[in-house]
Amino acid sequence: MRHGRYPFIIGFLAAPLILYVVFVISPYFQAFYIALTDWRGITATPEYTGFDNFARLFDDEVFWHAVRHHIVLLVAMPLLTIAIALFFSFLLNLGGGSKGGRMTGVTGSTFYRVVFFFPQVLAVAIVGVLFQAIYRPDESGVINGLLGKIGVQPIGWLTNPDLALWSIIAVMVWQAVGFYVVLFSAGMSAIPKDVFEAAALDGAGRFRMFFSITLPLLWDTLQVGWVYLGIAAFDGFALVQVLSVDRGGPDNATTVLPLEIWRNAFNFSKYGYASAMGVALFFMTITFAVLTLRVTRRERIEL
Amino acid sequence: MATPTSAANPAAANKPAGRSAATKPAATTRRGGGGTGVFGTLAHVALIVWAILIIGPVLWTFLASFKTNAQIFGDPLTLPTSFGFDSWVRAWDKAHIGLYMWNTVFVVALSTAGTMLLGSMAAYVLARYEFPGNRVIYFIFVSGLAFPVFLALVPLFFVVRNLGLLGTHGGVILVYIAYSLPFTVFFLTAFFKTLPTSVAEAAAIDGCSHTRTFFQIMMPMAKPGLISITIFNILGQWNQYLLPIVLLPGNVEDKWLITQGIANISVNAGYEADWPGLFAGLSITVVPVMIVYIIFQRQIQSGLTSGAIK
Amino acid sequence: MTHTDGSPGAITRRQMLRRIGLTALVAGPGAGLLNACATSGGGSAAPAASGSAAATSAANPLGVNPASPLEVVIFKGGLGDAYATDVHEPMYKKMYPQAEIKHVATQQIAQTLQPRFASGDVPDMISNAGADLMDEGALQAEGQLLDLTPLFDAPSIDDPSKKVRDTLLPGTVEAGYIAGKPYVLKYVTSTYGLWYDANLFKEKGWTPPKTFDEFKTFCETAKSAGIVPYAYAGKNASYYQYWMILISAAKIGGNEVLINIDNLADGAWTAEPVRQAAAAWAEIGPYMGKSFEGLIHTEVQTRQNQGKIAFYPSGSWLENEQKSNTPDTFAYAVAPTPSVTGTDKMPYEAIRVAPGENYIVPAQAKNPQGGLEYLRIMLSKEGAKGFTEKSGSFTVVVGATEGLTLSPGNQSVADAQKAAGQNIVTLSLFETWYKELETELRKQTNALMFGRIGADEFVEKMQAAADKTKNDSSITKQQRSA
Repeated sequence: MRHGRYPFIIGFLAAPLILYVVFVISPYFQAFYIALTDWRGITATPEYTGFDNFARLFDDEVFWHAVRHHIVLLVAMPLLTIAIALFFSFLLNLGGGSKGGRMTGVTGSTFYRVVFFFPQVLAVAIVGVLFQAIYRPDESGVINGLLGKIGVQPIGWLTNPDLALWSIIAVMVWQAVGFYVVLFSAGMSAIPKDVFEAAALDGAGRFRMFFSITLPLLWDTLQVGWVYLGIAAFDGFALVQVLSVDRGGPDNATTVLPLEIWRNAFNFSKYGYASAMGVALFFMTITFAVLTLRVTRRERIEL
Repeated sequence: MATPTSAANPAAANKPAGRSAATKPAATTRRGGGGTGVFGTLAHVALIVWAILIIGPVLWTFLASFKTNAQIFGDPLTLPTSFGFDSWVRAWDKAHIGLYMWNTVFVVALSTAGTMLLGSMAAYVLARYEFPGNRVIYFIFVSGLAFPVFLALVPLFFVVRNLGLLGTHGGVILVYIAYSLPFTVFFLTAFFKTLPTSVAEAAAIDGCSHTRTFFQIMMPMAKPGLISITIFNILGQWNQYLLPIVLLPGNVEDKWLITQGIANISVNAGYEADWPGLFAGLSITVVPVMIVYIIFQRQIQSGLTSGAIK
Repeated sequence: MTHTDGSPGAITRRQMLRRIGLTALVAGPGAGLLNACATSGGGSAAPAASGSAAATSAANPLGVNPASPLEVVIFKGGLGDAYATDVHEPMYKKMYPQAEIKHVATQQIAQTLQPRFASGDVPDMISNAGADLMDEGALQAEGQLLDLTPLFDAPSIDDPSKKVRDTLLPGTVEAGYIAGKPYVLKYVTSTYGLWYDANLFKEKGWTPPKTFDEFKTFCETAKSAGIVPYAYAGKNASYYQYWMILISAAKIGGNEVLINIDNLADGAWTAEPVRQAAAAWAEIGPYMGKSFEGLIHTEVQTRQNQGKIAFYPSGSWLENEQKSNTPDTFAYAVAPTPSVTGTDKMPYEAIRVAPGENYIVPAQAKNPQGGLEYLRIMLSKEGAKGFTEKSGSFTVVVGATEGLTLSPGNQSVADAQKAAGQNIVTLSLFETWYKELETELRKQTNALMFGRIGADEFVEKMQAAADKTKNDSSITKQQRSA
């Protein structure tokens, strides 16, 4: 029945696969090789040094700072984003109470959805520059200006080592929430109404419905969102570069691995070392993804 | 021919709950819905606060583009005194914002089109045809999701250079496509798997070639998923900062994309102390995006939703 | 799809030709080769100027090919790039009308050029400056920099009977040494110190403090007048501050202190002068206010223009950088750093005058003779004078400011140099040699000045970083004797 499937298969796979191998797979393999050398990134054949770079990585306190930050990012960023997004999705879809057996959102839901999603369409580098002025540490920063009106001293959002990373996380959350509001809203509206009607008949109010019905049925979407946000937590390059004190400060309080890779490659010309860091980053990302998918795996609920 | 059940179109089957929000929620008559008044107010407060948080920075930046340097260093909450557009002109002209925007639109349009075409071709084959190596190839594509781009940066540069594509939009487009393939293939494969086989079989019986089946039957059926992945890709490629910097170095400034342009201006504003110019540049970047977004937000949001929900 | 070979070691046909290619008159290509092999340990290309060489003549001593195009990359920062587009490039064009000049101005030197070095497509002359400058030590180790000796030995444009090196301020050529040869032209002399508004000080009846005790009193006075007595930009310019600390250390213990640091001598950082300097400056820290750690240099400099800050550490490019923001009532003036102990080896008037602003010629340039010639033009009196006019900064060319009216800032610099006489604080070379050490110093300076660590911890941490650099076999070590 399926005549000529092989030419078809090959024809359809050829272009994407070739493009992919040339631009993605081949560079990645080379990067692994470079990680085993002490290549200073300019010319010359690199000299093989085995696992030297990795040993050095182990002793590098800046590297471990960055790793710690990624762990914080991994936990805090998805948690905050998803929690806030769920809250708003709830309000926008179910917060209006039940009306004639159907759940509605509060007034103006569409407007809110439109507004909340907007930061997603801004490029992250642009968001970073936007927030530079917002976070400025003296009275001319927007937040500090507002605080000044109620008599609070200016706060060093990005200069205080304890606050700096959280300020950056706040920007990430700011940008991401709207996307997940829309995503979860769609997920919620995909739940057949009869489920809610049945629950309403049984006397469940909106909160009960949310926790016992909506949340479990949204689980797949939540899981995807968590993985997606987690992978973003291993990045953070643009924001840290633009916003932090001296790129990663103060005192390494905000540095992330992409930034250190960048710095080692472009400022110190230590491409071997930078590639080793990239390899480490890769293994961490993979571990995270696998773990998350394993741990959050659940029975798919058939609707 | 049986009409395919649109398992992929749950959103189309139900009106999204938000549509009926125009009517004020009446006091509930059932148990469990009590306290609408208090809850309703709190809900509104929370929503309004977040809306202010979103709009605030953008609005402030817009207003700040009309201030002078001295005013920007003063009280941030005062309004500008004059509304001249000279900072905007400086940003457009000296800083080439218009050019960068056009470059970005051009590059993203072509690379998204390419990504969707190649990605769906690959995903379709991987999803619906058994052949030796299927799982391996799928795995190769999807494993790209786990690799950080930073790892490949320098070797990638060589490859692009060896192909003579450095500093060209063509090179950027090909690289964008290649790096968008993992995500696209991953989602579209899962998506294509959900399409019913009955249609394809019927088409084969009718004598449709594989290619025709793909383009004329399966793709239209997959439209919602395709739309949503397209939007994902546009957003992702629009966002790119690292790749343009490496592939479009400083000697081809006329080819630059908007993210590197804005970053450059923010450093420029640093060295030349032209902060109003920087804010004007930001505004010029943000305003058209906002307008496009407002016009198309329904499509964007419905495209996202119907495709991404499994 | 053909070429998938993206490996770093791939030799293109062009590179092959280069290696075999005719070497015109670069002194010591053999020595260059030896250098490259000894340090890099892997077949790097010899830094011989090959490519499009032409015959030499009296008017063209470097053998520039008149038809070869020239690509010039200029860092567009505090000095702007008008000096290139309005002065040097037209001068080159006049000498070689057939040559097409491509001018590239950028703030991101490393970001833009590092990949180009990796691929071999490099420009002919680069001004390597700014926060994102390239690691010249690494470039030289890989054989990527052209030895500038032919430039310095060539006849000067103004007086062909003199060599270029004899028309420059003493120490200029040596300042650009890496591994014993001049690879970097340091073009600008900058004077470093505490900058202030002479008019503001006259109005308030203030004079720059001569000792740190006086400095502290001054801080109190300024504070009660509602003016921040001293500030620097922690977000991107903490190196302005560590300059001050190191200058103070040199004034306490003499220039050997800085030479030891550059040479990674044992205990160079924990030496008493360094510790004393750090402690003295740490006491000024509290007067700054923590917000300055989050501001970039132009933000702080603008505030000084608005009369909100008294002293700001910087170099003589400052006046030009702030040109468009400075009100007419503001007159830039520079003061030396105050003396720390009563027994400082150098007097109060001692000040750091150093050649800076690095200009390099890549070894793989397509028109390296053009690059060298461009530098020779820069080092002529006309080129130097034009530079000073456009950028407001002094060059290393002797006598190039004859007949120029000096701005208040530059006048103050001239006065300060005269007062200092022979007591000149030397520059620090580790800043360009050991980028990782420099990065660590920036971090620790911020920590010290913003009150997170004390002077003892500062010197210990810096010593640890220096030791780490010393023991890191992948970093090429340099030495300086004076």
